[in-house]
Amino acid sequence: MTEVRTCLHDVQKHSVHTLVFRSLKRTHDMFVSDQAKAVSRDDVSHKLKMGVKLKTDYSAVLHMPILKEGKDRVSQLPAHLQGHAPYSQQDASRTAASVVDIHRHAGGGDRVHPQSTAVSLHEGGGTRTSALMRRAPTMPKPQWHPPWKLFRVISGHLGWVRSIAVEPGNQWFVTGSADRTIKIWDLASGTLKLSLTGHISTVRGVAVSTRSPYLFSCGEDKQVKCWDLEYNKVIRHYHGHLSAVYDLDLHPTIDVLVTCSRDATARVWDIRTKANVHTLTGHTNTVATVRCQAAEPQVITGSHDSTIRLWDLIAGKTRATLTNHKKSVRTVVLHPRQHGFASGSADNIKQWTFPDGKFIQNLSGHNAIINTLAVNSDGVLVSGADNGTIHMWDWRTGYNFQRIHAAVQPGSLDSESGIFACMFDNSEGRLITAEADKTIKVYKEDESATEESHPVNWKPEILKRKRF
Amino acid sequence: MSLTSFLPAPTQLSQDQLEAEEKLWAQKTYSTALVASRREPPPYGHRQGFIPRALEDFGDGGAFPEIHLAQFPLEMGRKKKTNNALAVQVDAEGKIKYDAIARQGQGKDKVIFSKYTDLLPKEVMNEDDPALQKPDEETVQELTEKTRSALDKLVSQKIAAAMPVRAADKQAPAQYIRYTPSQQGVAFNSGAKQRVIRMVEMQRDPMEPPRFKINKKIPRGPPSPPAPVMHSPSRKMTVKEQQEWKIPPCISNWKNAKGYTIPLDKRLAADGRGLQTVHINENFAKLAEALYIADRKAREAVEMRAQVEKKMAQKEKEKKEEKLRELAQMARDRRAGFKGHGDKGGEDSEARERDEIRHDRRKERQRDINISRAAPDKRSKLQRDQDRDISELIALGKPNPRASSEGQYDQRLFNQSKGMDSGFAGGEDEMYNVYDQPFRGGRDMASNIYRPSKNIDKDAYADDFENLMNNNRFAPDKEFSGADHSQRREGPVQFEEDPFGLDKFLEQAKQHGGSKRPSTSTRSKDDYHDKKRRKE
Repeated sequence: MTEVRTCLHDVQKHSVHTLVFRSLKRTHDMFVSDQAKAVSRDDVSHKLKMGVKLKTDYSAVLHMPILKEGKDRVSQLPAHLQGHAPYSQQDASRTAASVVDIHRHAGGGDRVHPQSTAVSLHEGGGTRTSALMRRAPTMPKPQWHPPWKLFRVISGHLGWVRSIAVEPGNQWFVTGSADRTIKIWDLASGTLKLSLTGHISTVRGVAVSTRSPYLFSCGEDKQVKCWDLEYNKVIRHYHGHLSAVYDLDLHPTIDVLVTCSRDATARVWDIRTKANVHTLTGHTNTVATVRCQAAEPQVITGSHDSTIRLWDLIAGKTRATLTNHKKSVRTVVLHPRQHGFASGSADNIKQWTFPDGKFIQNLSGHNAIINTLAVNSDGVLVSGADNGTIHMWDWRTGYNFQRIHAAVQPGSLDSESGIFACMFDNSEGRLITAEADKTIKVYKEDESATEESHPVNWKPEILKRKRF
Repeated sequence: MSLTSFLPAPTQLSQDQLEAEEKLWAQKTYSTALVASRREPPPYGHRQGFIPRALEDFGDGGAFPEIHLAQFPLEMGRKKKTNNALAVQVDAEGKIKYDAIARQGQGKDKVIFSKYTDLLPKEVMNEDDPALQKPDEETVQELTEKTRSALDKLVSQKIAAAMPVRAADKQAPAQYIRYTPSQQGVAFNSGAKQRVIRMVEMQRDPMEPPRFKINKKIPRGPPSPPAPVMHSPSRKMTVKEQQEWKIPPCISNWKNAKGYTIPLDKRLAADGRGLQTVHINENFAKLAEALYIADRKAREAVEMRAQVEKKMAQKEKEKKEEKLRELAQMARDRRAGFKGHGDKGGEDSEARERDEIRHDRRKERQRDINISRAAPDKRSKLQRDQDRDISELIALGKPNPRASSEGQYDQRLFNQSKGMDSGFAGGEDEMYNVYDQPFRGGRDMASNIYRPSKNIDKDAYADDFENLMNNNRFAPDKEFSGADHSQRREGPVQFEEDPFGLDKFLEQAKQHGGSKRPSTSTRSKDDYHDKKRRKE
């Protein structure tokens, strides 16, 4: 039974509709497991009753033998007689194999009717009962996460900071900016270690390879560069894009680089030979984001034509197209542990599962153009928007537990707040964001917060989940 | 433990049960699909004369072989033009596959979401749900290997052209295949039952250039069919929202390519003038005030300086005058009053004064005589005054000739009988006709000099006024006997030259009373007096 909780201090005002529905639900949950269940049969009394009935009504025929085949023929009829009754449908009779057994006691004809209807009610209620018994207790409660707070602001770039990548050894991180430079910063102290120049326009994407000492960067000047970090020089150019390259990602197991561009294609490059292995066409507008993974589907792209495509890397063809978003998809993030991903767009954030891209749920509430998403192993999803706000969500339930809007660097206008990229470091204890006021902000979890100080205020919508 | 388990089975079905069976059989064919059959063809044996023409006549089945007629059930077999109608397909459960339209060009196992249920959110799953787990390591590695080999093959194809020419690569060793043909016999294969085939890869010339031209540009093929859209159509735009996004046309302050004439308020509309409040720095006002104050102070300073200077100059002048007076006094004293200076005393001071006055007058007379003697034209003083300009006369304080107070009219205004074109005189420049009569000249000056009229107050002059009036003592041209008539007398007093030099003589007498000095001293004194007068 669900216990009734009384709030002593917080009496929230709801509409009559909500109140009625809430009470409906509570009552339903309370009685649903028992409702329409027949009173449990007492074997002794039942045997007694049967015996008396047989003796009084059927004593004349009790001597005759009981034939099996006839019984089956007869038994089929009353089962199908249920077609009259509106309750039981054909699927119900088909799926529940035990229905036939239940109906066997009914003789036939009209006499059976009222009983059969009663039984069908019983049976329907039974199936419903069984189904709902599965569902009622599993209204999920979101996991508590400590809130995040800003603890460092790093300034040094002369233009918007557009992209971030963290080194696999968690010692430093790289940022690419609109001032055409790539800067390498020490993660622990936030000091600048190195500045790389070479791009002639905004650097839109950076990635550090886990398998070799390479740094990859792409920019709005159609260039994709491979930097050797031992010499801090460009060693390779990947030539082929026809327009600004917006994002890039490295395959975790194969030495392959995937870049996506404003020319509506994504290109797959062999790192060593600089050859353009595949050109993934199919999108009709700028491809804004690309992610690679080792399992199928290996490449996921999100585009400004509001579709997400899952690609087959071997054939270079689309496996599935997801058209659920209404506005441009600017970001896609893969969950580090689970086999699923989330995509962010201006209408809402959607969660999907692999390998077919089945839609799981919507995370709505962040009503802004979402530029970036990042996921933690603890299940914290961060969404950063074009207006500078950060929302923190619980991945599993979609509960928004925190909203942050950091102040801009002194000297910047208030309208210059926006987040272009965010990333957790490899220890998942720090969140690094690249912002439009030319700073890099580092956030960490607030250690002093507890469940009591920051309670979970989970108010899901009633009747949100349907049985599909 | 129901009742039926104890009772024997009924041997015959009742009427109700039979009806139920019928109904059941009828219901079996009832389905929820949109496509449903209506009419049934007659059963076998009763089809004499039945001609199936329409689609419904065939029911669920096909053609009837006993009816000797060309039949096209489901329009199959008819020669018709290709149309792109899709045949209705049914899935395993008997439901019609409506997403066949969306799946037209694709393989049957391609993932396409087309149902309403695909866009509804699913139940929140537990984290340990197997559907959410990543695939295990082996599958992933297998996939990786497969992908890598495929990609390597592609890469090698692409860079084959760039690779250097090497010796011909070794072909794989020959494969042998045992083949059993289906057509057996003595004639085939010369009686043998099987054949052995040696399969060898054809050698590829390493120096061979590419065989096919790949620089031809061909248009792109059609794209894959669009995926079904899994969201509700976008909301209709309300008028208010549309108004919010309205962008006014740009009216540039610099360019006007089509030469539109745009009213001034529209030209300035986008300037944002109404939005800003004009802030004038208060220093402007301060500057203006400071300048004003400075100007005033400067003026005051200048004035003060001028005044001070004037005072100083006046003081200087007075000092000089004092000095001169002293000198004159000294001179006078030296000249006239040395001898009788000490003993005359007070009663003689008046006499001395009178003497001084006489002396002064004589000096002036002498001066005039000198001037007239020096001047060749012998112009007398009155004559001189006659030639002076009226402003000079006023400045010198000479009598005002104008006595009449009545208005002086231009006489040309009266007696206007000359006609309209008179008066302008043809625009002659040389004529000076501003006034019609000269200003009162010197000729009338004599008459305008003050003469006591009978109207003057008798108090001032007692009762002898008439006597005074009739007195001719002050007639200007009363002459001495023996006076010279040749000279024209102007004015009451006519000063004349000293023909006998009596003045001179008297002066000298005066002077020599003090000391015997030669004419140099007198001359110097004359010069000095002249100089003094001239200064004044």
